[in-house]
Amino acid sequence: MPVIVMASPKGGGGKSTCAVLLASEFARMGADVTVLDCDPNKSLTRWASHGLPTGVVLKSDIGRSEIVPTIRSADGDGKIVIVDLEGVASQLVSRAISQADLVIVPMQPTALDAEIGSEALALVKEEEEALGRTIRHAVVLTKTSAAVKSRVQKELEGQLSGAGIDMIEPSLVARAAFSEIFAYGGDLTAMMNDPDMVTGGKVDKALINARAFTEAVYERLK
Amino acid sequence: MSGSNRLAGLKARPKDTTVEEVRRVDEVGEARGCVDRSPRKKPVRKPSPRTHQLHPKVLPNIGEAISAEAESLGITQGQLVEQMWSAYEANILNKDKKEGI
Repeated sequence: MPVIVMASPKGGGGKSTCAVLLASEFARMGADVTVLDCDPNKSLTRWASHGLPTGVVLKSDIGRSEIVPTIRSADGDGKIVIVDLEGVASQLVSRAISQADLVIVPMQPTALDAEIGSEALALVKEEEEALGRTIRHAVVLTKTSAAVKSRVQKELEGQLSGAGIDMIEPSLVARAAFSEIFAYGGDLTAMMNDPDMVTGGKVDKALINARAFTEAVYERLK
Repeated sequence: MSGSNRLAGLKARPKDTTVEEVRRVDEVGEARGCVDRSPRKKPVRKPSPRTHQLHPKVLPNIGEAISAEAESLGITQGQLVEQMWSAYEANILNKDKKEGI
């Protein structure tokens, strides 16, 4: 089953959020999901400390020398491996990318995110050449506006598409629930059904967004 | 979107993970600044096998001479005592041989 790697040398781009949403939605679909938290900030470990959705297993404290064997041991029939990487350029990142069936590069619609995120895309391309095989990769824009598409976002989408970069649609909209899920653990469905969980946002809209995003990722893994 | 039968269609591509392949990946990464950023472990001294402690009291001039000799040889006082013990044992053995014991 596939290995999905979240990669971007830029911190705060949405790697951990994407990992959490994909893990919980694929688990809801019936997959056994193993999430590897390779980020020293341990965002996913914090999320898991409040409770993991059924079907999700988390492994943390994975270093450069353990990443390849850990991915291989977690891989198997009916299992999806999701790797959340640190927001720096490191050998751990390059090794994880080499094991990916899909590399997702989350970036906010800003010039800075695009510039730094393009480093990850370049690294994937170079690994493809070195290994002599394709590593599927795609960009997802994160923290986009629910109301209007900014001029910068339109330009960025045009530039990336023009460069032949696969863009995942829909983008992930800036939703309070996507941030709050790290404080509550579990998944968006549980968050929506629990009146004690106060997000200050529209969880139902966030759930629709997350499911559409997961569907788009699923289509790339077939 | 539901049902695990949909997931059965998902496939993983075969990926070789030979030492050579990992080395190539590291080389490509290093060219882009992807270096080993694993946290270095704090250097710690290996535990000494010398765990037995003696408590000898000697005359001050003998103690100072032992201390100065160990320092000049670049060894610990314990190691010097071990050498002295080896010499003592060898001496006893020679003595026993000479006396035919």
